[in-house]
Amino acid sequence: MANHSSSTSHSRFLQHHFVDAEQQFDAAKMGMWIFLVTEILFFGGLFAAYIVYRMLYPELFSMAAEELNVLWGTVNTVVLIGSSLTVAMAIKSAQKNQVKNIAINLGITLLLACIFMVIKYFEWEHKFHLGIFPGEAYSFEGIDHPKASIFFSLYYLMTGLHGIHVLIGMGLMIWLLKRSLQGDFNSEYYTPVEITGLYWHLVDIIWIFLYPLFYLIH
Amino acid sequence: MSEHHISTDKTLLGVGGALLVLTILTAVVHYAHLPQPWSIIAAMFIAVLKASLVAMFFMNLFWDKRFNAMLLVSSVVFFLLLIGFTLLDTLFRLPPTPAF
Repeated sequence: MANHSSSTSHSRFLQHHFVDAEQQFDAAKMGMWIFLVTEILFFGGLFAAYIVYRMLYPELFSMAAEELNVLWGTVNTVVLIGSSLTVAMAIKSAQKNQVKNIAINLGITLLLACIFMVIKYFEWEHKFHLGIFPGEAYSFEGIDHPKASIFFSLYYLMTGLHGIHVLIGMGLMIWLLKRSLQGDFNSEYYTPVEITGLYWHLVDIIWIFLYPLFYLIH
Repeated sequence: MSEHHISTDKTLLGVGGALLVLTILTAVVHYAHLPQPWSIIAAMFIAVLKASLVAMFFMNLFWDKRFNAMLLVSSVVFFLLLIGFTLLDTLFRLPPTPAF
């Protein structure tokens, strides 16, 4: 063992069942990608439901989408793209050993995620005020279509599940921020930043599709 | 871990800028009110382009081991299978069940 422990560049986070830090990094990253595959298929079920109902009631989707605010949808898209950029910057900072910049970029990411959720809250709040609830609770009179609640059930399910993912992402960002301030991350070890980044980018990609599918219909 | 690809600021900001431009472009195309099949085709084309940029340059698949890219592509293939087989059912129901 003496021979082993004297080898170079041993992170204190290297677990003994891995050959080296590189193998540990690759294994963690592949594990995250496999998790992301299950996430895509998880959301995929909802996207399939969306496609089926949009093909059944195309006129409903153009009528109901009028109730969504294109401006706020666009602002939220820009906010999430910005947060993806700062996550990528955080990883780059770690790779370049710019330890302080990791925390700064993670902090901006967390702030942008908060802005996204606040905008989402006000959008939902406005709809609840009008009586636009999912499913049976739907009581809005403004859309002249017998199946109007279907559009909003899909809207709440898909943006809601996405919102839960953003909230989980915010929790992970707080954890990463705490660890980066403790000085856990540097160019030798930044696996948690890397794989949380992958998760965050996937949440961004899902919003990239939700945005045109709900807000940009006419 | 010196062999990890390190993205330059130029690449990251360039990709971020491209995503911003494409977001504005898709909103502009929306307000241009293209005739029906084309507006959804344009919106989805731009969305796929944006998602590919994020996957390749923010998620690093462009420089990464091909295995991870294969995982992503396979999830898309299975998603398309899900949609394909579902539509083979729902598009050809005659008549559609009233309560559906």
